[in-house]
Amino acid sequence: MVSRSSVANPTKPELIITRVFDAPRPFVFRAWIEPERAWHWWGPKGFTTLFCEMDVRPGGAWRMGMRSPEGTDHWKQGVYREIIEPERLVFSYAWEDAQGKPGHEMLVSLTFAEQGPKTKMTLHQTAFESVESRDGHRQGWTSCMERFAEYLAATEVVAGSKTACSGEMRKRP
Amino acid sequence: MPLDHLSTVFGALADPTRRAILTRLASGQASVTELARPFEMTMPAISKHLKVLERAGLITRGRQAQWRPCQLEAGPLKEVDDWVERYRRFWEQSFDRLDQYLREVQSKEGNDGLEE
Repeated sequence: MVSRSSVANPTKPELIITRVFDAPRPFVFRAWIEPERAWHWWGPKGFTTLFCEMDVRPGGAWRMGMRSPEGTDHWKQGVYREIIEPERLVFSYAWEDAQGKPGHEMLVSLTFAEQGPKTKMTLHQTAFESVESRDGHRQGWTSCMERFAEYLAATEVVAGSKTACSGEMRKRP
Repeated sequence: MPLDHLSTVFGALADPTRRAILTRLASGQASVTELARPFEMTMPAISKHLKVLERAGLITRGRQAQWRPCQLEAGPLKEVDDWVERYRRFWEQSFDRLDQYLREVQSKEGNDGLEE
């Protein structure tokens, strides 16, 4: 078992973990996207899986329920963003509250690289999506435009010519 | 820290300018003018960023008449650190189980039909 975790920027809520598995890449990839396989390993030590459903396509939803050794149930869900079998998998991830409502959304990106008969897998989890990763996705396009407007407003210089467009953006609350 | 507030902290940290401001404040408090210097940004724009950081509890601002120094607050960043460590533990344990699962299934199924 080879594992390496990077110490990221302390102001960036993100983590990166690299691990090498003694298995071929397609097999490792499928352990993530086939519910009957994910069932067996996804969760901390001592947890048992109650439910696992995956609609593996861009925009498809996934949901999992697991039970802790103390008997408390935890549900989580997300949406797939990118699926490039067997090399890349990106999905959002959020825990559900007691009413089943998803909480803060995180983003998980996985890359799988062949290392001879083994697979080197890298997980990158962030607490937020960057503007760049949202570009091109219909979901979040509105907030992307809002952030772009804020960026323009923040970088415009007081003296100098301004277009009517950036003038409008400045009036945005 | 309640999840709502952690989300507010994450939102504040999502911006590279704000992260750069925090990195600067890690070496000591600073005035708004000092903080604005590295960025070609207007004072209102910097103030907007500082308000976001203040609302998330990441900085506090002094109340001296002549200047209001900005100061880094360690609490929220510690919460972020705890969040990272919680998830690191979660994934490392999951990957231990994945490792075990891959070994077990390979010895059962062999490599038939696994290569593409």
